[in-house]
Amino acid sequence: MKRIGVFVCHCGTNIAATVDVAHVAEVAKAMPNVAFATDYKFMCSEPGQEEIRKAIKEYNLNGVVVAACTPRLHEPTFQKALERSGINPYLLEIANIREQCAWVHSKEKAAATDKAVELVRMAVAKASKNVALYSTDVPVNKRALVVGAGIAGMQAALDIADSGHQVVLLERESTIGGKMVMLDKVFPTLDCSA
Amino acid sequence: MVAASQHPNITMMTWSEVEKVDGYIGNFDVTIRQKAKYVDYDKCTGCGLCETKCPKKVNSEYDLGLGKRKSIYKPFAQAVPNKPIIDHKSCRKINEDKCGVCEKICPVGAINYDDEDKLVTERFGAVVMATGYDLFGWQEAYGEYGYGKYPDVITGLHFERMSNASGPTDGKILRPSDGTEPKTVVFIKCVGSRDEAKGKSYCSRACCMYTAKHAHQVKEKIEDSEAIVFYMDVRTPGKSYEEFYQRALDDGAVYVRGRVSKIYKQGEKLIVRGEDSLIGKQVEVEADMVVLATAMVPSIGSAKIASTVGFATDKDGFFQESHPKLRPVETFTAGVFLAGACQGPKDIPDTVAQASAAAVKVCGLFSKDNLATDPMISTVNESICSGCAICQPVCPYGAIEMKNIEERAQGKTIERQVASVNKGLCQGCGSCTVACRSGAINLQGFTNEQILAEVDAVCL
Amino acid sequence: MSVEQAAQATQTEEWTPKIVAFCCNWCAYAGADLAGLNRMQYPPNVRVIRVPCSGRTNPQFIMRAFQRGADAVLVAG
Repeated sequence: MKRIGVFVCHCGTNIAATVDVAHVAEVAKAMPNVAFATDYKFMCSEPGQEEIRKAIKEYNLNGVVVAACTPRLHEPTFQKALERSGINPYLLEIANIREQCAWVHSKEKAAATDKAVELVRMAVAKASKNVALYSTDVPVNKRALVVGAGIAGMQAALDIADSGHQVVLLERESTIGGKMVMLDKVFPTLDCSA
Repeated sequence: MVAASQHPNITMMTWSEVEKVDGYIGNFDVTIRQKAKYVDYDKCTGCGLCETKCPKKVNSEYDLGLGKRKSIYKPFAQAVPNKPIIDHKSCRKINEDKCGVCEKICPVGAINYDDEDKLVTERFGAVVMATGYDLFGWQEAYGEYGYGKYPDVITGLHFERMSNASGPTDGKILRPSDGTEPKTVVFIKCVGSRDEAKGKSYCSRACCMYTAKHAHQVKEKIEDSEAIVFYMDVRTPGKSYEEFYQRALDDGAVYVRGRVSKIYKQGEKLIVRGEDSLIGKQVEVEADMVVLATAMVPSIGSAKIASTVGFATDKDGFFQESHPKLRPVETFTAGVFLAGACQGPKDIPDTVAQASAAAVKVCGLFSKDNLATDPMISTVNESICSGCAICQPVCPYGAIEMKNIEERAQGKTIERQVASVNKGLCQGCGSCTVACRSGAINLQGFTNEQILAEVDAVCL
Repeated sequence: MSVEQAAQATQTEEWTPKIVAFCCNWCAYAGADLAGLNRMQYPPNVRVIRVPCSGRTNPQFIMRAFQRGADAVLVAG
């Protein structure tokens, strides 16, 4: 049996100014498999994550939907929050109600709220099918390749090499140095560029 | 440069290019093309005798055509490594089987005209892209500046070569046309930058400062000289930058706010006609030389190497960072980092800062012996898999292998073929799941059931 | 909705099509995010389903969307 918690983020006024977040949380409560729903000013903040952690304990949640910004931004943040709360991070789903809802429909508040509800419903439906996933380990080969030996490549190579790792510094020209060696004195100090 | 060449942990591979990249974060298999140098670097002592005796002279790329080099050459005297290569396009021995002077004269027998490109494959845990920039080809776009037909209309980089003490003019600023010293030098900023009609929409960031430096150098090196700068804005957002600009003004550089509409030749002079938008009048300057602050564009070959290594470029062809504010040195491809102007125009202080940031990201990655892989990858249900292997060619990452399994069927043990996913190589795109006829492959995290549930929920 | 209903609905002004978009996480989905960052406005009748690659879009998903009443399906990647 899935017990999903839904957490709707205001993102300050980024979302809340357009989407009726309290209404979204209210509607979410009636969705299948949803055991708990709430809204909060900043879900990604420390107190916001604490809200999630408490709800996971209290309602014994085995699925979490965060309706907030794009998963491309804070999915890892919330996955870690789940992990800290003792459940598998892959039980998380994000409903993107900021970039793909509030921000792009800022003049249509009612329609944006309806869309936010649907995005949450989608995420809840997906989360209902989520299962715990486990990563495996692959070894890290501790050698770096730096492509291009201008000032950026040389600096990066030196910093990595100074930390004790092997570096191959690749350059398509026959000398390292890049554009920098073509320059005379450089601003703002007017020292030499070599 | 010397620090990089002498560091015990750094192996330099010059005259080399990335040919192919396989694998994934922590385990990239990179094939490198070591282009033919025609000189055996193990034997060569870098004495330079070959270069002095070589009879063939061509324009030096390094000096942007302001000077000459030989067919066997080091780009400049302090090159690292300090050993020459043969330019096979101009060498008479390689092209016409004549000459052969360098082979005869080399005291250690390092010359090898039959040298060929070599491919080597090495394994790396991380890749830092630092391919830099090139300059915008203003000759094609700016007809009003003469399409490059006036030799005394040069770029800032030409100016740098002349101003450099080890450059083709020994540090003297001279007109390329007749070698005389220019008295009036006009600088034009934003050539290609901030000009959507002819060039690029972006600001190249370093030009305001180097033009101030050039104006200062003209005033410093040439007596009774005039340095006149046509500008749209003066942008000096950096520590000590505004002060540096003020210094150029104090030196006597004249800043005129407006665009140049035409450059034409009148006798020995170049007439620069433009607008002083602050007084609302047209101005004309009789100049001896014009220096263009041309836009920075991605280095030649950027698009190709981005697709070889496997990461995205932005609308202008610069390498795309993962996030403009929060992940400025990462790419969307894990384990590939960005440093310097390949990510976008920047000056030296910013380049150094970003290079060190990329290095720290690499060191952070190298602080772990093992990496947790993303579990959102394909899995095969072996009991349904028919072993047809249709999924294999569909996989863009070569992550599907066929393997044999034993199973009991009708009281007998039989062996049959099934698909198997390499967890390290699979990037979780899910193309195989669509190709699979028997529905035996599913993508963890984006299963058929999950996506169908979403479709159902959204179409309610 | 049925073809007749749809034909009728298009006559009235209130009708808007329901569009389901399958967007690749690395490009089209990121592009939709970018539209948000730049505050570009578009009609709210499109629902984005995130897929790890447009190649993940099984024809079965598209058929199911139509079966369940989607008026248009966009696959972008």
